[in-house]
Amino acid sequence: MPRSHRGNAMIGDRKPSAINNAVPTKASQKKLNRRRFLIKTGGVLAAGAFGAVPLRGWAADPINIGALYPSTGSMAQIGVGCVAAAKLAVDMVNEAGGIKSLGGAKLNLIVSDVQSDTTVTRTETDRLISGNKLSAIHGCYASALTLIASEVCERARVPIITGSSSDQLNKGRSYTFTPFARASQFAKAQLQMAKLVSEQAKVAVIFENTAFGTSTSNGLKELAPGEGVEIVMFEPYSAGFTDASPLINKVKASGANTLFSLSYLNDLILIVRTVKQVGLNIAINGGSGGFVMPDFYKNVGKAAEGLQGVAHWNHDVNDDAQKVNAEFKKRTGEFAFEYAGGLVAQTFMLADALERAASADPKKVREALSTLDVSSGYAAMAPGGKVKFGPDGKNVYGRPVGVQWQNADLASIFPKEDARASLMKT
Amino acid sequence: MWETLAQAVINGLLIGGIYALVSIGVTLIFGVVKIVNFAQGEFVMLGMYISFFLATQFGIDPLVSLVVSMPVLFVAGVLIQHFLIRRVLGPNDMPQIFLTFALSLLLLNLSLMLFSANYRTVHTSYSDEAWHIGGLYIPVAKLIAFAVAMALSGLLWLFLHTTDLGRAMRAASQNRDVAMLMGINPNRVFAVAFGTALALAGAAGSLLMPFYSAYPFVGQVFVLMAFVAVVMGTLGNVMGALVASLMMGIAESLGIQFVGADSGLIVVFALLLLTLAFRPSGLGARRGR
Repeated sequence: MPRSHRGNAMIGDRKPSAINNAVPTKASQKKLNRRRFLIKTGGVLAAGAFGAVPLRGWAADPINIGALYPSTGSMAQIGVGCVAAAKLAVDMVNEAGGIKSLGGAKLNLIVSDVQSDTTVTRTETDRLISGNKLSAIHGCYASALTLIASEVCERARVPIITGSSSDQLNKGRSYTFTPFARASQFAKAQLQMAKLVSEQAKVAVIFENTAFGTSTSNGLKELAPGEGVEIVMFEPYSAGFTDASPLINKVKASGANTLFSLSYLNDLILIVRTVKQVGLNIAINGGSGGFVMPDFYKNVGKAAEGLQGVAHWNHDVNDDAQKVNAEFKKRTGEFAFEYAGGLVAQTFMLADALERAASADPKKVREALSTLDVSSGYAAMAPGGKVKFGPDGKNVYGRPVGVQWQNADLASIFPKEDARASLMKT
Repeated sequence: MWETLAQAVINGLLIGGIYALVSIGVTLIFGVVKIVNFAQGEFVMLGMYISFFLATQFGIDPLVSLVVSMPVLFVAGVLIQHFLIRRVLGPNDMPQIFLTFALSLLLLNLSLMLFSANYRTVHTSYSDEAWHIGGLYIPVAKLIAFAVAMALSGLLWLFLHTTDLGRAMRAASQNRDVAMLMGINPNRVFAVAFGTALALAGAAGSLLMPFYSAYPFVGQVFVLMAFVAVVMGTLGNVMGALVASLMMGIAESLGIQFVGADSGLIVVFALLLLTLAFRPSGLGARRGR
């Protein structure tokens, strides 16, 4: 039933929401007398009659940052988490005094819902850019959506910064910035992690027979010999199966000691549960995406303990990340997942660029982003700890972090420089 | 080799039990009311959500929530038959097809709206348990699901063969017009048939919940197999659908095991084509008719 989820558009919040962190005026703390009351109400009435009058000189103009996330539709849950992170990041920048070179201007977040749909993403990105004076945009979580938003941003000459991992985002683009590890790096990290489990890494690769599964698995297959990893089983399966038992039976027969499962959440849950039922002793690497979300643990429970994956950000990379994590947890009840945490870092990268550009003009912000070079603070909280963009918009220091579910939390275990816990053998 | 084969057959048989509950519902509705219910999978989905919410809100075991999901869906079935299906029964098939298809779309999108697209899983003490016998293993949750599915099928068989209402349903299924001439009230029979079919879908949902995730599109995974089983087991034939479902479960499992992990359905459809080639009216067709 393709596209039927678009019925959600009816309830989707299509109005851009904005947060304004105006400094409370001192006057409001004073006792109100009648004259002040009249001046105030008169001003408000006048503003209503003649249209809002910007209070120049009173505070610097806010800087508009666009945020494109799927807060309805099939990716809604993740999208909502991203919006929460985006708001947190803007609050953090503003509470620290905003953009000083622009007179302490505050960041103003304008959120737009792309409804987990590529067509909507195109129109919403257009609408967001034409309807607002934006300095930069970030979005959209899913690579498929980000690729479209990035095209629109390139044409409109508005910089977009994203945590999406598709390598395609670094091809022929000059307004697109990707501060985190790329998809091709993820595959390599997964293979190297297989060697943590055993020197004689024998990997079974099972992947759903879709574009995502096929392309990712081929990447693994090509890189495996160079990493000294033997692939003993390489098998596509039909996504959305009813029973993982026959597939796991095959994995068992292959004699593998590590299983790479390139699957969406539901299949992965079935696979993990079935491995436990069979009593098969095998290390599982679930990759990234849905696997490194708090929801995965909720669904799989204790069976998730010891499962490995890869992420472009993790909440234990450094102290700044831990602080962000604590605040995010307070606001949403969940730990800061990779995309949420990465998003906070991205906002600080934008703030850094705005500071140096001393201008809200998107072209100048792009220039400043292209010369970004940070190695401390919230902007640099990423695996590797440094951000500097190459000509393709790729962070030259970007690398993925290998993670493992330990005690209902994601712990960084790979590479050595980023490891905050040791590998738990299962 | 022997072990792998035996394990594949066990796996197939266990999942076949779930296919059976869904396909028996479809075939019952087709046999008695003479319409194809495209929304059958969505009722499985509703059964899963009922069990999910009872488990998470009240801590009720999904298997126990069977006693809620089945009656709820039975009543839903009777109401749907009474207020919707009854009005489109006639010589023209199109309104019926559109109605059940619309019902499927409506339920899908409503559940997307209400429950979101997230996967919901229930953990029970037996969810990840399995019995190991020799080199074979039997997952407990699936074994229970299979046993209950077979028991429900058996009860349905008894109902159809020993009660007046059941006989009336069978009569209506064999020849609706003659059955009506014999004084059988079609509306009552249709309502009970539709309700029973939906109750079976609800049961399938509750039985799936300990080992499968609920999400709005989950029904579509099962309904495809159900339609194949209904055709293979002769349209309208409950026993045929049951046997065909079990066969398909085994065929799928053997296909994944010995042909390729993405070839399970290929083997299933090959089996369907072979059946249609040699027994055009299906496995359950009576000879000489």
